[in-house]
Amino acid sequence: MRRLNASLQLLAPCALVVLVGLGGRATTAGTQTEVWNALVNVAIVVGLYVFVGNSGVLSFGQISFVAVGAFAAGLLTVDPTVKPNVLPGLWPFLAHHSIGNVPSLLLAAALGGVFAFLVGLPLMRLSGLAAGIATFAVLEITHNVLRNWTKIGPGATTLALVPGTTTFAQATLGALIAVVVAFCYQQSRFGRQLRATREDPAAARAAGIDIHRQRLLAFTLSGALCGFAGGLLVHLLGSIDTEQVYLDLTFLTLAMLVVGGAQSLFGAVVGALGVSLLDTFLGNAENTVHVLGLRLHLPGGSRLVGVAAAMLVVLVLRPSGLTGGREFSLRLPRRLRAPRAQAPEPR
Amino acid sequence: MREAPLLAITDLEVRHGSVPAVRGLSLELRRGEVVGLIGPNGAGKTTTLHAIMGIVRPYRGSIELAGRSIRGLPPERVARAGIAIVPEGRRIYGELTVEENLRLGLVARRARNGAANPFEPVLALFPALRDSLERRAGALSGGQQQQLAIARALVAGPEVLLLDEPSLGLAPRLVDAVFEALAEIRASGISALLVEQRAQRTVAFADRTHVLANGELRMTLGPADAGDTNRLVEAYLAS
Amino acid sequence: MNVLQTSIDALALGAVYALMAVGIGLVFGVLRLVNFAYGQLIMAGAYTLAFTGSWGDPASIAVCVAVVVTLSVAMELLAFRRLRGASPATMLAATFAISFLLQSIALLRYSFANKPIGDSVGTLSGLNRSLRLGSAQIQWITIVAIVVALVVLAALGLFLNRTSIGLQMRAAAADFRTARMLGVGANTVILLAFVISGLLAAITAVIFVVQTPLVTPDFALRDTIIVLVGIVVGGIDRLVTATLGGFFIGVATGVLGDTLPSGSRVYLPSAVFALVILVLLLRPRGLFAIFGRAPAERV
Repeated sequence: MRRLNASLQLLAPCALVVLVGLGGRATTAGTQTEVWNALVNVAIVVGLYVFVGNSGVLSFGQISFVAVGAFAAGLLTVDPTVKPNVLPGLWPFLAHHSIGNVPSLLLAAALGGVFAFLVGLPLMRLSGLAAGIATFAVLEITHNVLRNWTKIGPGATTLALVPGTTTFAQATLGALIAVVVAFCYQQSRFGRQLRATREDPAAARAAGIDIHRQRLLAFTLSGALCGFAGGLLVHLLGSIDTEQVYLDLTFLTLAMLVVGGAQSLFGAVVGALGVSLLDTFLGNAENTVHVLGLRLHLPGGSRLVGVAAAMLVVLVLRPSGLTGGREFSLRLPRRLRAPRAQAPEPR
Repeated sequence: MREAPLLAITDLEVRHGSVPAVRGLSLELRRGEVVGLIGPNGAGKTTTLHAIMGIVRPYRGSIELAGRSIRGLPPERVARAGIAIVPEGRRIYGELTVEENLRLGLVARRARNGAANPFEPVLALFPALRDSLERRAGALSGGQQQQLAIARALVAGPEVLLLDEPSLGLAPRLVDAVFEALAEIRASGISALLVEQRAQRTVAFADRTHVLANGELRMTLGPADAGDTNRLVEAYLAS
Repeated sequence: MNVLQTSIDALALGAVYALMAVGIGLVFGVLRLVNFAYGQLIMAGAYTLAFTGSWGDPASIAVCVAVVVTLSVAMELLAFRRLRGASPATMLAATFAISFLLQSIALLRYSFANKPIGDSVGTLSGLNRSLRLGSAQIQWITIVAIVVALVVLAALGLFLNRTSIGLQMRAAAADFRTARMLGVGANTVILLAFVISGLLAAITAVIFVVQTPLVTPDFALRDTIIVLVGIVVGGIDRLVTATLGGFFIGVATGVLGDTLPSGSRVYLPSAVFALVILVLLLRPRGLFAIFGRAPAERV
């Protein structure tokens, strides 16, 4: 039974991803890009989850790994005959070389991981708000450097002419890979040890778990996944700009994670897909959409209001997220199973 | 005809998650009484006090103060209804002065229309505090902090005083001081529910002492049983 | 670069950031919630000033205060009250959602009417004039900001230290559960914190609007982020250290902004944030958290 449950826990988010991917194939070109975007968001939020969900420590810096991955993958897949003209300040090595699509994704993952490891070495000592602000500082530094160092990137301009290789196959597979990696990690001894520290750090320490090492491991893996997702992102957009991988994406992905349920992989996937697809739906509604026989036309700009309001409502009504922080399971939630009531502490 | 109990707990059950911490507990506190509650660690003594105080919501059972149900009320309402607690570990505000700590005790009192200067009788009971009114409470000794915690509770003019291990961590001489203060409190007509680890002293002092183990009431002892070590041990170990 | 001018300007920025720090710190003290949407309270105040500009300054400011305090209280009643006992991540995400929501509502104004983003405000525009102080040109608003901040902080100090309800708030911030057991009303104290917080946001809005007479949906967002960093670096556990943190990061921002030659200024944020990381690694509880043990955990 446990084996079946474990497989289901992996199968459910994977099935969701594939369903969305297939659904995307069936829609119009405009919506398709948004669906692939939703899948890339899954990769990002799952990357975020690997660290935040398992450790219980909030990090605002994961998007810097997305940024690094995006810029690296993007930069090195632009046609080298064009690059030196468009980006004259680049280091010659970067200007004259380029790599293929898949290698760019691997490179993005590798760079994200290495960067995360180096950042994590000192930072994983911290917890709570200190960790939050410190990782936020990393985001700021990454943004600042990427925006100004024209030897390694486009600086304040948009990096364009990146091959748009993230369509159905790459988006779906990319999201699937992220989900599978995250699942393997959380099932592993390391993942379980880290979750133990989330529940009760003192007890975990007493049991011999090295909190710093486990957090560092998760942070590095998270960095790699986020870097990978950054590669997916840049190949989806065909371009990248520092503002696209900065504050807005940070807050949005964190909110997606919490709305879905920060403590489960299923929650990460549900949150990312739910919010992204709602955003897509509302975006279409701004251009008039027919739903259930009714004609819906939203005024411009209200999609953002709708998404924000929906997230707030979910959080207020269900603070532990849409999935309650639990993985997918065929067993009914406790509440519906036994007639005996729970007595929570009053607040 | 016996006067109705001031505090009546009937069939109380409190759960931590799905595990019962207190089960089927019934006890009474009449005016002017001190009732003791002893038992091994984890027996549910503190949980009982927390249930009375409204910090945890009971799963089942009733808690009545002078005939009125106070079950499920938030802590601030219970405090204003006339129950004051001296929490485990004292929980005084180290960064505030002694006087400010005492003034906090007044919050529950004002809500119930107290009169006159409430500090005076309390300071008479604990003269050491009178000299330290302007000092940071965190600078007091352990014994003085315990006195402050009790004083703070008394300032509210409660009808029922709950004490959670007031002698914890105190030297024997200071423990004596605590029990002396408790005797004066009893003499002034305040009823008290005393949770303690020091079984023998509690049994000797209280009008009645209940032994709690594993969340259940095992037996009730009177002052006469204070010398009977066998009975005490039997009570603790019975399961 | 003029030392006197830079000092006074930086002092004013520090003063205003200190006000913001108190607004955020008060709520954190009683709720252990970091209200990221605080900047939107200031934004709402600024927009109110923009829309009521024709009513005259006193009326305009009065309405601004009313609107911001109402919005602050609404945040508590509609959102945060239902999230008591939720995880810090959930509470923070809720503040993000509120911040997005308010920003996107403000954006509607421009997308509906197809206008360029930004509304100009004329409140107290007279204070934009400057006076000569030696070799420096100081705007009146700079001096007003410093004075107002001092007065407000002093008043708040008196309130917290001399009144019964202020004492209750301090106790609630230090150990909420014990405070409740002593009869301190949980919801009352929390509501009061939001009211004062809103009041401070309104005052900040007025000052900002004079200095930057153009209101946009992300008005005060950057400032909020900087103040949040300052609060944590200063020490979020206690109101005094949090306020000091806000003040110092304001002063530092002001000084550094003026003193660095423009060439090397591009990497200023990196330098500052690297310093922030260093401070947090060395003193995770905050730069000024010298005395006292950690306050009791709120249950």
